[in-house]
Order: sequence, then C-alpha cells, then structure tokens
Amino acid sequence: MEALTHLLQGFAAALSLNNLLFAFAGCMLGTLIGVLPGLGPAAGTAILIPLTFSLDATGAIIMLCAIYYGAMYGGTITSVLINVPGEAASVVTCIDGHQMARQGRAGSALGIAAIGSFVGGTLATVALVAVAMPLASLALKFGPAEFFALMVAGLCLVVGLAGNNMLAALLMTVIGLLLAMIGVDPVRGAPRFTFGVEELYDGIGFVPVVMGLFGIAELLLAAEKRQTHMISAELKTWLPTRQECRQSVGAIGRGTVVGFVLGLIPGVGAIVPTFMAYVLEKRISKTPERFGKGAIEGVATAETANNAYANAAMVPLLALGIPSSPTIAVLMGAFIINGITPGPFLFTEQPALVWTVIASFFIGNVLLLILNLPLVGLWAKLLKVPFSYMCTGILIFCIIGAYGLKQSLFDVWVMLGFGILGYLLRKLDFPIAPAILALILGPMMEKSLRTTLEISGGSFAIFLDRPLALAMLVVPVIVIGVLIFKPRSLSPLRESDVE
Amino acid sequence: MRQGRLIATGAMLAFCLFALWQSLLLSLTDRLGPGPGFFPFWLALIGIVLAVALLITTAREPRDPSDGETHILPHGPGALRWLAIVALLAAATVAMAVVGFRISMLVFNAALVIALGERRWWAIALFAVLGSFGVYYVFTTWLDVLLPTGWLEF
Repeated sequence: MEALTHLLQGFAAALSLNNLLFAFAGCMLGTLIGVLPGLGPAAGTAILIPLTFSLDATGAIIMLCAIYYGAMYGGTITSVLINVPGEAASVVTCIDGHQMARQGRAGSALGIAAIGSFVGGTLATVALVAVAMPLASLALKFGPAEFFALMVAGLCLVVGLAGNNMLAALLMTVIGLLLAMIGVDPVRGAPRFTFGVEELYDGIGFVPVVMGLFGIAELLLAAEKRQTHMISAELKTWLPTRQECRQSVGAIGRGTVVGFVLGLIPGVGAIVPTFMAYVLEKRISKTPERFGKGAIEGVATAETANNAYANAAMVPLLALGIPSSPTIAVLMGAFIINGITPGPFLFTEQPALVWTVIASFFIGNVLLLILNLPLVGLWAKLLKVPFSYMCTGILIFCIIGAYGLKQSLFDVWVMLGFGILGYLLRKLDFPIAPAILALILGPMMEKSLRTTLEISGGSFAIFLDRPLALAMLVVPVIVIGVLIFKPRSLSPLRESDVE
Repeated sequence: MRQGRLIATGAMLAFCLFALWQSLLLSLTDRLGPGPGFFPFWLALIGIVLAVALLITTAREPRDPSDGETHILPHGPGALRWLAIVALLAAATVAMAVVGFRISMLVFNAALVIALGERRWWAIALFAVLGSFGVYYVFTTWLDVLLPTGWLEF
C-alpha cells in the first residue's frame, strides 16, 4: 500500500511536462540507438550522457532510462526488416521476424513486437513496484560484510555465464577491479597508481572507458568490415491480424515471466531470456516445425522477454545497488554522476526521485508503443544514412561525452586508448562485461571489505559469524568452481537450441 | 587467434605483476586495519594466478586450422578506414587543446567523411560546419556543456 501511494506521487511528478519531454526524447533517441546496427544499448546510453548534463537529477535519470528501454525495443526493427539485430538481444527476433517480413508480414511482426514489449515492460514494472521496496528494506539490514559478499556474488554470476570462456572472464573481472583501484584510496585518502598524473587522482573515468570499450571499439570493428545494409522488406501494415494476436497471447505471458525472473539475476544478460523464452515456446508448441519459418509466437515471446528483462534488471540496481549488465552499469554511473547512489538507501533518502523514475517506466512503455508503431517506416529510412556520416556523428558525441564530464582532454585520450583495447579484446574473444561491472563495483567492494575488516580488527573470521554474507560468498564460488571443471555439460544456452 | 590470446594474456599477466609491485610500495596494513595496498595486492595476486592458468590452458588448446585466416589487427581495405578513425581522433584531441573544439572538429569532420568515402564537396562542407560550429552552439548554449576553446580562446 505504501508503495502504491509513493507510486501515485511518482506519477504526478513523472507526468509533468518537463519529465514527459525527457521520457519522450529518451524513447526517441533510444530507439534510434537500437535501430543502428552495431551500436548497442550500453554504448548508446554512455554516448548520450552529455545530453543530460544540464538536466536536474530526476530528468537526467528519466531520460537515460528511456534511452535504455528505447534501445532494447529499437533493435527489433532492423532484426525484422533486414535480418540484422540492432542489439545483441534481438538476435532471436531475426529467426522468425525476418521470415515473416519475407512473407510480406513485416508489419505484423513489428506490431506484435511492440505490443509484446509494451505488455512485458509494463507487467515487469508492476512486479518491480511489488518487489523492489521489500528487497530494499531487507538490504537495509545488511552490514558492510553482506554488501561485500553481495557484490562478490553479483560479479561471480556475471562470470558464471561466460560459458567456456570463464577463466578469461575471471581475469577480466580482476583487471576491471585493479583499474578501479587507480586514484585516491577511498578510506585513507592516499593516492594509488597515479604516478604523479593529476588527472588520475579522481580515478579512471567510467564514462570514457565505457565509450571506448563499447562505442569506439564497435565503430572500429564496423569500419574494418564496412557494413552496408539494404532494406529487403517492405512495410505494408503495422498491425497484426486478430488470429495472430490470439496466437501470441500465451507467448507474451510466458515471455514476461521468463524475462522478469531472469532479469532479477545479475549477469544473465539480455540475450539469455530471449533465447530461453524462444526455446520454451518452441518446446511447448503443438506445431514446433513452424518456428524458424515465420511463427509469430517466436517474435512475440522473444520481444516480450527482452523488455520484461530490461525493466526487471532495474530491481537489483534500485534495491541493492548491483548493476546486472553493462548497460545497467552505465545507468548506475549516470546515477552516481548526478550525486545519487543506487541501493537500499535510495528508497528512504530519495523516495521522490526513485518513484518518479519508476513511474516514468510505465509512461515510457506507453510512449514507445504509441511512437514506434507509426514511426517504423521513419526508423527504417535511417538505415540508409551512409556509414561515413553515421560514424563521424557518433564520434562527435563520444568526444563531447568523454570531455564534457570533467572538461578534461585526458579523458578523450582514455576513451581512445580503451577503444583500441576494446577492439582487440573483442577480436580475441575476451568478455568485456565483467570488467565494466568490476570497474564500477570496485571502489564500493573495497570500501565494504575494508570497513568489515576494520570492525573485526583485521580478522576474516567475521564472515563466519555472518551466515548470510558467508552463504553469498561461498555459493557463487562453488558454482564457478563447478562450471570451470565441467564446462561442457553445464554450459548455458547455445545457438543450436534455437535452430 | 590462439597466438593473439597468448600475447594478450601475457600482457595481462605483466599488468598484474606491475600492480603487485606497486601495491607492495603502499602499506598493506596499518593500525586501523587494511591499508591502501591491501585490496590491490590480493587482486593482483589472484590476477597472476588466473593469467598463468589461462596461459597454460590456451597453450594446451589444439591449433585451429582456421586460425591463420583470423586477423587480430586490422587488415585489407578496412585497415585504412580503421587507421583514419584512430589517427584523426588522436589528431583532433591534440588540436583541441590548441585551437579549440570548433576548428579542430571542422577539420576532423571533413577529413573523416572524406576518408570514409564521401566525395560530394557541398555535403562534406555542410556536415563539417554543422558538426563543429552547430554542435558547439547547441551544447554550450542549450545544454550548458563546456567544450574546449584552446589557447586561442576560440
């Protein structure tokens, strides 16, 4: 009941003209990011952070969240029309979505994707309202030992889903944590790894690193390949038929559940819920042979799971302060830039902000539905913009984003350096997500561990006296150990599952 | 690919060894408990173990016949575009400190779109001006974002 009262107050604030405009602009920009193949939601959200510098904290967060779920929807358009996923999670949509487009049913595919995204996103936000506050209240009872253990567990889960690449993922996590150590020691104030460079005293900027590892690296990969895309499907209508809607109802329901549940688990990533929802739908279907040949349920369940996941992934961020994916880590960075620390205290210290942002999720989902159905043709036209202009335009935003936060050209160099590093790591198949999450969680992890050890006088035995912290430390470590030694039998979903 | 992974893991091992040495220069513990070097020391140590393990597992992997076709560094016609982006971005960053955002981005925009294949002079000129002076105006006037003006204060 308390949550409902807060939510209504949140709606009153979120429906103000300014906040509506921020949500609208965020949805438009996010969809644009999603439409552009290769530029994922993490890079897109990071690149657009400078647009929010002059906004108040609530407006900035509303806009960035709208960019996030706009990007999650935008990827669908290219998946259906040209068989190229705008972002990784839309890969599954290509399977049946593009087949539908080739049969002249592109509008039905995009229509059901928009409806599924709306239903999945809205229901997941309802569940977020129900779950987030009790979870935050529980987390308020956590001490530094539990917070440290929680962050270790979150990172372990990210690593655990790296499949056969787990050693590399663990190493990347450690590299990310070590990079996070650069700057002034958060407890004693002593400079570390700064080598007298003044710009390093504040640490390595999160925004330039993310822009480099995702944005610049993606542009370098695209420039090398010179991707050119042609529209191969025409859009005649943007609404599914009544029969198609009936076929999709169950798929949308199941997609919502799968997306929401998996969204609560840090590190799952957007692609796993869509794969799982698709596999589930195919397995329970009476006509599984239609899947891969234009089954509308395949599009409906994947897109619903995708957006349900996107909204559910906000639960660990808002309630526990744990980012569950690189994009959510970028959002967490945006919270911190605006002087807000996500986590259980957010609900008690900044209730107006958090509930306004949650209310804006509902509004954003409605805006996406209203905007995207009639504007699909316009988004498709964007794919005809030549790469030379698109690439240069994105680089302008990257330079402004890297420089604008601290007015430091050093950060532009950091972005370029991490761009080249990201390009090489991507080519060598090293996972980048664990390093990004570690970079943002590193300072908090260190502070929690050192506070814990100061309380115990330097003894690690304190973890034995705190069963919850011990469990959160031991269970993920055991799971990772098992996965390292049994990678083949316990590996996560493979692409062959959806063939 | 395999050789590239070995080199990259070796570089990460070197990074962890360097971090270990640097953390030992800081105090690991003090009278209040763990010192500034404590967390990085343990992280670096774990990193070294992981890097060595990864080096061993990568070295023991069977050679993939398609490895020879995989290029880690940019190659072919795309390499020039790749180099153009990196070199022009670096040049623009240097130039920004001297001549400011507007002039450096004017040249950067024009040079990069030409390097990436555009040949219509009016489109290049329009894009270069909008992407430098136009963007500067929007960000500084409407969005209150400070952009570099350089030594020339322009």
